[in-house]
Amino acid sequence: MMNIKNLTYFFREAYTSLSRNRLLSIATVTTMAICILILGAAVLMTINADKFMNRLESDLEIVAFLDSSLSKSQVTDIKGDIEKLSGVKSVIFVSREQALVNLQTKFADKNYDLVKTIGKNPLPDSYEVKAQNPQDVVNLAQQINKMPGIYKVNYGQGVVERLFQVTKWVRIISIGFIVLLTMGAVFLIATTIRLAIFARRKEIYLMKLIGATDWFIRWPFFIEGIMLGSMGSLISILLLSWGYGSLVSSLQTALFFIPLVYQQSLLINIYLSLFATGAILGVLGTYISLNRFLDV
Amino acid sequence: MLVQFYNVSKVYPNGVKALNDISLKVDRGEFIFLMGSSGAGKSTLVKMLFREEVPTRGQIFVASRSIVRMKRSEVPQLRRNMGIVFQDFKLLENKTIAENIAFAMKVVGSKSKDIRPRVTEVIQMVGLKGKENSFPGQLSGGEQQRVGIARAIVNRPLLLIADEPSGNLDMDTARDIMDLLYDINRKGTTVVMATHAWELVKNARKRVVTLEAGRILSDIYSPESL
Repeated sequence: MMNIKNLTYFFREAYTSLSRNRLLSIATVTTMAICILILGAAVLMTINADKFMNRLESDLEIVAFLDSSLSKSQVTDIKGDIEKLSGVKSVIFVSREQALVNLQTKFADKNYDLVKTIGKNPLPDSYEVKAQNPQDVVNLAQQINKMPGIYKVNYGQGVVERLFQVTKWVRIISIGFIVLLTMGAVFLIATTIRLAIFARRKEIYLMKLIGATDWFIRWPFFIEGIMLGSMGSLISILLLSWGYGSLVSSLQTALFFIPLVYQQSLLINIYLSLFATGAILGVLGTYISLNRFLDV
Repeated sequence: MLVQFYNVSKVYPNGVKALNDISLKVDRGEFIFLMGSSGAGKSTLVKMLFREEVPTRGQIFVASRSIVRMKRSEVPQLRRNMGIVFQDFKLLENKTIAENIAFAMKVVGSKSKDIRPRVTEVIQMVGLKGKENSFPGQLSGGEQQRVGIARAIVNRPLLLIADEPSGNLDMDTARDIMDLLYDINRKGTTVVMATHAWELVKNARKRVVTLEAGRILSDIYSPESL
């Protein structure tokens, strides 16, 4: 396939072609940059949506209210039973006194005394159960509900199921969107590269008739495709990191409750993947466009 | 036998019948003219020699290898045994004469140290010494076709295929090009030349195969009355 002694020839050919067809090269790089920019923005949006949904989901918890007639040891036994269920992350005891204090703090008016109004504390002891995987919440809640000594289980019935429906569809749609964008980018890039190859079709035909192998003809075009793809993705990554960076810094002060992804390591991984995508799209576009001209 | 055609027919996907039951043999060292008006099937026949086209029926052997059964990956090797001269020269405008000829060696993977002396040799052979660093646009039509011929023979092919090599040239220049081709043939290369210029063929004392509407009309040695 690749012959070392031809390496310099391949690179020289790629470079010559790039500088000779300057206008087409610029057009290809621009197309690349726009495609990768849109793709990158979609990826960032998806990751942020995912983080937001993860947070919503991890907020889910089960509140298991206990029968008021239970003895202290029975209450402890139930804790052990709940902890034995598979998929349970944590079990926290909330005494009826603590529950009342919690309820009191939910009222904005600090002067309003709840205890005074209702006379005695109507609240039962309870356990707050968190699941390792939010998807298990419904199942766990049902199991806990069947345990003796449990008076009632609350987990946001109805709302939880709907939340999972929504997050599932948001994930499916965003992945589908990214796949569509990638396909569109491949098509657009292949079309642009086809123009560049079309300008050299006579040369390709001649090489084929002289007895050049397909790979001998392909390599310079592949190198050219990688160069164009890398340049395009580099431009889009610079724009994207600048734009996203300023978005994060302005939103973090103004809208602090929106949890934007800002870990450097994750962002760098995304940018590196976009760069690789650009190079791969360059080669893929070249491969698709070139094959038609090699069929001599 | 260098080339053998057995009952070769070609129908293009659009329904045009280009060749109809052609059988033909070419010996090593022969010089053969393919005569016929445009549309007679010359081009199709020539393209089959270097497998740009494959027959719809029949069998073709070049140097004892079947072109029909040949794998795609084997085609480059077949073509390295051939040199092709085109009517429109097909020179690369942005490369010098020497680079155009060296290109053909580079493409088939020759070593740089072998390329330079061989290019000098063929440039001398076709009578273009001193024009090495000119660009095709700076040469006359006849000179450009000499470059085309030099490029075709630089890899020492068994078979030289010339498709209307003088089609774009005046008669005097065409005769010079013919002399060059005869010269190459005398040194042992088999030559197949497609043309419709009877003036070049009639006194040549070579084998002339005449095609008409995809069939072989005659296969004779000129000069003979047709």
